[in-house]
Amino acid sequence: MAIHEQLLAAVDGRRGVEAADRLCEACVVLLDVDAAAISLVFDGASSGTLGSSGAPARMYDELQFTLGEGPCLESVARRIPILVVDLADPREARWPAYGPAMLAYQIRGVYALPVVVAGEYIGALDLFRAQPGELPGEDLAGAVAAAELAGVPLLDILDGDLEAAVTDPNSNAWVELNTLSRAEVSQATGMLIAQLEVEPAEALVRLRAHAYATGRSATDVARDILDRRLKLEAD
Amino acid sequence: MRARKSGKEGNVTVTPRETRVLDAVVSLVDSLLDDFDVVDLLTVLTERCAELLDIEAAGFLLADPLQQLRLLAATSEQARELELYQLQADEGPCVDCYVTGQPVSVADVREAKERWPRFVPAAVGAGFVSVHAVPMRAAGIVLGALGLFGTRSGELTEADLLVGQTLTHIACVAILQEHPPTPATVMPQLRSALTNRVIVEQAKGLLREMLDLSVEEAFHLLRTYARANDEHLTDVARRLVTDRYSRPMLVGELAELAAAPPR
Repeated sequence: MAIHEQLLAAVDGRRGVEAADRLCEACVVLLDVDAAAISLVFDGASSGTLGSSGAPARMYDELQFTLGEGPCLESVARRIPILVVDLADPREARWPAYGPAMLAYQIRGVYALPVVVAGEYIGALDLFRAQPGELPGEDLAGAVAAAELAGVPLLDILDGDLEAAVTDPNSNAWVELNTLSRAEVSQATGMLIAQLEVEPAEALVRLRAHAYATGRSATDVARDILDRRLKLEAD
Repeated sequence: MRARKSGKEGNVTVTPRETRVLDAVVSLVDSLLDDFDVVDLLTVLTERCAELLDIEAAGFLLADPLQQLRLLAATSEQARELELYQLQADEGPCVDCYVTGQPVSVADVREAKERWPRFVPAAVGAGFVSVHAVPMRAAGIVLGALGLFGTRSGELTEADLLVGQTLTHIACVAILQEHPPTPATVMPQLRSALTNRVIVEQAKGLLREMLDLSVEEAFHLLRTYARANDEHLTDVARRLVTDRYSRPMLVGELAELAAAPPR
């Protein structure tokens, strides 16, 4: 089974924090890394570590929020993957506080991939490794796939009222990502940005929540919004 | 495809197309050497493809990190045609082309019902007869496919295929131009290009809501505005959907442009 299929199998049928944890655990098993964490950098209040492969990963990740610098914050701010092959390299001076702190934990390789929801860079998948060096090409492709998948649990977290989703045993991350990336859904998201005066990620959360609540597909809801047959209420 | 079937005696028709192809390549490479917007340039590429290959519709589909094909740019924003591209997350000529890395050319799509049970009725319903796909490649990886749809039957000739491949190479360079591609850099760049498309779609929806336009009109207006102001399409779209403070003024300018008589 290809890495991305194994990642999908790890999150299928799971939601929110649980899905994020399982995705991180799968990264550690499938990729050549020692720890993985997913964090959300959005709206200040909800920022922080969301899922992790275990206690050390959580600690490495949360340290960024304490120190105000690190791979996840940089990856989101610059909207690119941040791949640091060796924190012990004297020329590697990008994080004066975070770098030495991670070296003290015996971590030398740090790799962060942005998590994108509705076109917004709202979080990152952080991978940590004791051994310095580049991630092999196949592992990096797997990491990018994991970061793509991480969009689903992040959407769950952004949706305050998740009951419908949590109790759906058939939830399938692949199908959901496919649906949410369709042109109609993005167009309807754009209409909601104007109607509800919210940010893109929140507009998508609202569209998806309505689909869950009414038992319809996000595409059908999007078409109704586009054709002005449906108008969602502002909060 | 139409007149070119004539073969040897076709020298008279071949030369003008060569010239037109070269013109297109020169102007596209010119854009590559300048500052450009990926979604906008690839939309232009699909338009050139359609003209040069005598095809009704063309679209670039790119594989996302989960190896699912997603639309990056197309000649038309009509819902029926968009659906044809979107169906190819599951089946169709572009998926087959992406999986095998080989071109696909089907003279009459009605004969491929068993091969693509969902795609064929959709293609026929949208008025298409011939369907083709040309692979996009870089760094030994297939990145996606260029889908081509015609309203007349007929396979792509070798010359057609060469034109399609040339324009597809330009598209790959446009997507990957920041760095020489390696397997490690290709995936994040594809992902970033697809994210740009999402933002452009959102901006179309936002303009539909605020200016009461169709999504097709909204896309045209965005492109016209971006060109007139020498801005990237994606940057204009991003400002519209994420910057609520500059939005009212930008929407005002777009409304003015929409109301202006065409030049």
